[in-house]
Amino acid sequence: MFMNTNNLIPLLPLLPLMALLVGFLFHNTREKEIYRANLIGIGFNLLLITFLFIQWLMQGRAPLSHDGFKLYQTSLDAIGMSFFIDGVGFVFLFSATILTLLIVVFSKTYLHREPGYKRFFNNLKAFYAGLITIVIAANFETLFIGWEILGITSFFLIGFYRDRYIPVKNALKVVSLYRIADIALLLVMWEAHHLFHGSVRFEELASLITEISANHQTKNGLILISILVILAAVVKSAQFPFSSWLPRAMEGPTSSSAIFYGSLSVHIGLLLLIRSSPIWEGIPSVKYIIMGIGLVTALVATLIARIQPSIKTQIAYSTIAQIGLMFVEISFGWYQLALFHFVGNAFLRSYQLLVSPSVLSYKIHDQFFNFIPPQPQHKEGFFNRLKLSLYLLGIHEFYLDENQYKWLWNPLKKMGKSLNFITAKTMIGGGLVLFTLGLVGVYTQSSLPVDLHFALPYIFAFLALVVLLKAFTLRGQVIEIWGLVILNQLFITLSIGYNEYFDYSQVHLYLSGILLSFLIGLSVFRNLKKAGLATDLSNYQGNVFVKPSQAFVFALACLGMIGFPITPTFLGEELILGHIHSGQYLLMILIMGSLLIVGLVIFRTYSRLFLGIHMKGMHIRSYRSA
Amino acid sequence: MHTQSFDENMVLHDLHHYLPSQLSLKDFVHHNPLHNFQNLSFFDAIFKASKNFGCQVTLALEEYRALHQQGRIRDEILSFIIVDQLGESKLSSWRHRVLQKNYSYSFEPKIGSIRSFWKKAYQIDLDNLVHPLLFRYIGSFLDQGIALWHFPFEDKGLLQAIRDLDSNSFQGVFKSKRTRELLHQSNLNIKELLDLVVGNPKAYSNYLFDQQFAHRGWSGLIAATETTPETLFYRKKSSLKDLILFELLLEIDALDSTLGRYWKPLGEVVQLPNVHYFDNHQLTELETVLSIWQRAFEWDYYDEVLAGIQTASRAPKKDSNPVSFQSVFCIDDRECSIRRHFEQVDKKCQTFGAPGFFGAAFYFQPQGGKFYEKNCPVPVTPKHLIKEYDVKDKRKHELLHHPRTHTGISGFLAALSVGLWAAVRMVYDLFFPKMRPDIANAFAHMNRYGKLKIENESLDDIENGLQVGYTLEEMTDVVEGILKGIGLTKDFAPIVYMVAHGSSSANNPHHGAHDCGACSGRPGAVNARVFAFMANHSKVRSLLESKGISIPSNTWFVGAMHDTASDEIEYYDIQDLNEEFLKHHLENVPSIELALDFNAKERSRRFASIDTQADLKRIRKAIKNRSVSYFEPRPELGHGTNSICLVGNRETTKSLVLDRRAFLQSYNPTSDPDGNILAKILGPLPVVCGGINLEYYFSRMDVERMGAGTKLPHHVMGLVGVSNSSDGDLRPGLPLQMIENHDPIRLMMIIEQSPAIVENILNNTPAMKEWFSNEWIFLFALNPLDYTLYRYKVDQFYPYSTLKKIEAQKGDFIKQVEQFDSMKTNHILDATKENLPVYVYEHE
Repeated sequence: MFMNTNNLIPLLPLLPLMALLVGFLFHNTREKEIYRANLIGIGFNLLLITFLFIQWLMQGRAPLSHDGFKLYQTSLDAIGMSFFIDGVGFVFLFSATILTLLIVVFSKTYLHREPGYKRFFNNLKAFYAGLITIVIAANFETLFIGWEILGITSFFLIGFYRDRYIPVKNALKVVSLYRIADIALLLVMWEAHHLFHGSVRFEELASLITEISANHQTKNGLILISILVILAAVVKSAQFPFSSWLPRAMEGPTSSSAIFYGSLSVHIGLLLLIRSSPIWEGIPSVKYIIMGIGLVTALVATLIARIQPSIKTQIAYSTIAQIGLMFVEISFGWYQLALFHFVGNAFLRSYQLLVSPSVLSYKIHDQFFNFIPPQPQHKEGFFNRLKLSLYLLGIHEFYLDENQYKWLWNPLKKMGKSLNFITAKTMIGGGLVLFTLGLVGVYTQSSLPVDLHFALPYIFAFLALVVLLKAFTLRGQVIEIWGLVILNQLFITLSIGYNEYFDYSQVHLYLSGILLSFLIGLSVFRNLKKAGLATDLSNYQGNVFVKPSQAFVFALACLGMIGFPITPTFLGEELILGHIHSGQYLLMILIMGSLLIVGLVIFRTYSRLFLGIHMKGMHIRSYRSA
Repeated sequence: MHTQSFDENMVLHDLHHYLPSQLSLKDFVHHNPLHNFQNLSFFDAIFKASKNFGCQVTLALEEYRALHQQGRIRDEILSFIIVDQLGESKLSSWRHRVLQKNYSYSFEPKIGSIRSFWKKAYQIDLDNLVHPLLFRYIGSFLDQGIALWHFPFEDKGLLQAIRDLDSNSFQGVFKSKRTRELLHQSNLNIKELLDLVVGNPKAYSNYLFDQQFAHRGWSGLIAATETTPETLFYRKKSSLKDLILFELLLEIDALDSTLGRYWKPLGEVVQLPNVHYFDNHQLTELETVLSIWQRAFEWDYYDEVLAGIQTASRAPKKDSNPVSFQSVFCIDDRECSIRRHFEQVDKKCQTFGAPGFFGAAFYFQPQGGKFYEKNCPVPVTPKHLIKEYDVKDKRKHELLHHPRTHTGISGFLAALSVGLWAAVRMVYDLFFPKMRPDIANAFAHMNRYGKLKIENESLDDIENGLQVGYTLEEMTDVVEGILKGIGLTKDFAPIVYMVAHGSSSANNPHHGAHDCGACSGRPGAVNARVFAFMANHSKVRSLLESKGISIPSNTWFVGAMHDTASDEIEYYDIQDLNEEFLKHHLENVPSIELALDFNAKERSRRFASIDTQADLKRIRKAIKNRSVSYFEPRPELGHGTNSICLVGNRETTKSLVLDRRAFLQSYNPTSDPDGNILAKILGPLPVVCGGINLEYYFSRMDVERMGAGTKLPHHVMGLVGVSNSSDGDLRPGLPLQMIENHDPIRLMMIIEQSPAIVENILNNTPAMKEWFSNEWIFLFALNPLDYTLYRYKVDQFYPYSTLKKIEAQKGDFIKQVEQFDSMKTNHILDATKENLPVYVYEHE
């Protein structure tokens, strides 16, 4: 019997997802079953990868590829899940799978009797499936799906101790930064779509590039793509100036920090760079940027690592520094060295994190026998001053965290606060009127003046953004924020509708998911109110403490709202991007601004409504600073 | 609290008094976390603490009611408590309140109430702006060796170091110019800064409490290292005042940069309430109801234990002469079960209990050690030093912890080389765990093949004010004290084992909490070995003769140590045994090994990873593996479930099975008619046992605010403590994994002696009496003449007869162990089911 083994490739992400579904079946106390579902799901993957690896070797190391199912297809557009595995893929597949398996075994005992035992293992499987999807993705669209899953699972894993303040705060911080990387990738897809006239496979990139790079126009497009790819990679791999999120992601159980933030998740930027290398390899300036970022990161991060009194933070910065060096290696085109470096670093840092609680007894013991009081610090001379200045920079983490607030989030807050003159209710009311008018206009497009017709997409995209900025700073009732978010989505639909021939089926696809999510959200709010729970967002309400199932349902609704690949909205999002013409950068910026902020608003809403310290009733509450 | 005028020294003193006093984790010693409330009676104290700190000090009302429903709190006990506390007439009305009435509970801790106004007045979160940076500064300042660069100028104290750092760097510490000027101002004082920040002198002292208790972990450690600097090997000049000044400066800096230079002090923008922290607290009705429930929860178990004691003490005794061997253990509750198994395996052996430093209070210096380690209870200040020499083994190192893996270039080389080794190690450590250099090894505290300088050679042999070794007279005193204390003054067996204990565990920053509390949280091997040497010394023995203790020449003391996590015993100085002693010893070893097997089996019932019905040797292996597994957060369960302290003859209660819940101090009431010996041995018991018990009590009641929370996310900070995150506060107290099987009840101490003698001792030692009269520990006396029970209440003993009766049963406890279920979840309603009732077995 002849069977194409390549057809097995889609199983790689599917098996862990199936294991995830199985995992959902068991109660949290059925630890053995939950553990086994993981072990089998991921263990089987290891066998499969080994089998595929042998096939690959036997077939002369030609990449194995498989065109998965089409998610959406019309005569004009097609979005498909496509996979391929090459040597780079196998390195990542093997490291990821072996590490995940080891962590599964470690966590089986380590997490015994944790109230979040099941939650942890389910997240682990989702994370692993996302990671595998990224590794075997053959195009940006497929990669993006994995990328999104990774982001969401990170949010849940960092905020694993959801009834405490700092983990929730940091989960929000990290996922907000991740959102920037997401948007960068969306833009990459958009620009690539226009540049290559459709979705493009990574394997074909090299030949396509040589075809089109003669054109001066496309060269700028390539530079833009490269910069965006680098931005996504830099954020996800915690490179300068985004490094400070990594130590703050180490909020979950040690084993979870060890695998996600010590090794696998944080190295994923490398893969993105390698995959997109045909695009930037020919552009020296881009290579210098990668090299420069890598070098600066390596210097800054080792310096901070030197000064850290916290062991996990120290390991985090050591990881970042090594990834910086990997960026340098990649900029030189030394992919094999970078891969080898990745594998070594991933295992080393994972291990160091896993045994990090041991340093207390080990190093104290060492100190007991070998302590030599350090030489007092001198003040005189340039070098002493330099050292002291570097010390201060290190202790302040080069002001990275502060500056993120200052440059990224505070301007948004300021913009939002400038809308204080209007209440949310008025805005929703007025918005609905505008939307109705706009909707009528869509059906009578032909009778509109040309200039207005040209301006309308921009006007509605702008309105969409304004509505969200209001939501971003609003601390009132959740229902108002929810209303503003749906209004934003409606405005975006109008904007697209005016921009181009209105394809109702695509818009329906987009809106169907959002409307459903909207309604689910409303029912959750009603249930919370009924139970006498607070639904204002002035504080973290921690309602998950009393209503875990409502929290789960609302999480799904939130994912739907931001177009996470569980609802059709996700497809709509990608399709709609296709309707922004190449060169419409302003419109693109407005809409991307919306997509960015809607992510922030939704995660914030979920966190404030359900996570944090719950204040009602007689029970144990953590300290805010703990 | 003094709200009228601000007195800096007074507030600093009060803060020192109330902040957590846990030292560096390497010196983990159990203590009552609310020791500063101990002058009040228990419930007044805990509810006052709760009101101020916002911590939970009892279970929730619904939980007690559910325990009552389960039958875990017997109904008759509930009624008994209501009558006992409030009188017969209140019974029915209070039963209603306790069982049915609905109460609303609101969470409003006093501390924090002033500083919360920042958010209201300026819409800013001052904690978020200040804490991360502040913690990194304090962490770096106190760091013992995680950072590769030490904190510059740290020898000058925190504030001066920051001043020097500021003036000798290019960019400076603060953002605003004003803060910088304030920093360098000579004679900077707290009041001056508070004038700028708070502005309303009435609120100053409360503001400081709010500020410092917002990070009680770090502040507590700074305060503790200020008074006890020797807890850090790398000494730092800690000062709470420096910390407060620096924090106020950081606050000013943060406010300047977010609000601009011209903001008004908090007290001028809002009307600050006049709250009195720590003033007297009247119990509310809900609190009274909770206190009744807590008493009932405790009494349910006490009554059962007392019933068991009643039955066991009155049962006919068997003569065990001649004795095969004797062993003296630590009073530790974990040795409660191993003693039972010793006696079960070899029915002719005798066991005794005494605090595990065995009367020898000294500092110990391992060979090559640059410091001394204190091996005696914390309150004792030793005058002696024991030095180790002739150690041949080399200490091993762990490459994967090397600091150079964190630098750029060598980190790169490490990733390429050691990185792959790490992968191999991960597999190995998961599937074949074994002892590694970075695992806390109880047996490595002292080298078994090394030698100890125990006998003092000359009185001039003084090192850093400590006398090296003991003189003959001093040795005699130590041996006499212990032997008379435990009532072992005649009928010596050929071998007497002095069994100290320690605990090995991997990946466990709290390992000190598992070692011997009577040895300042260290393994007690040295003490056992030192005591055995003293008791074997021929000149000491002849001096002992004159004191009425005659140790025959055919008796030999052997020092040993029991690893309570791995259930292994190591013996010391076996090479000194003559042929006959060696023969005796070798005869005993198989019995002891079997007892350890049984002990492991009994412990395994609480470990989900071990099948209690498996082969004994397999269980032993699995138990051993737990102590060396990095992935095992519960190498052992520590003092979880401790609740009783028995002082008396072992024979009296030998047939009683108290699970592993009792501290057992041996004492012979008949040889102590005037109570002099009792007065001596009682001395350390409340502090050691009560300290352990209350630390567990409060960590269990509120694992977040009094305990350290789950240990899974812990970051090791500066080798001094743990926190949950890189920007988080230190977490004093016990982690969840240590307390989840603990029933939070106070200690019940039962002394086998006539109540008059006990009462007399208490009246002569007010400090000890406070523990009992304020009910931090419950006290009973068992009259050795007729075995009547007496209860100590309001400074007097009254006869007590138990509500429950327990019959002695036939059978074997170790067989029964297989049938017990382990808990489904660690919620109190499930967890408490895992704890066993009291059994009394008939002598065979």
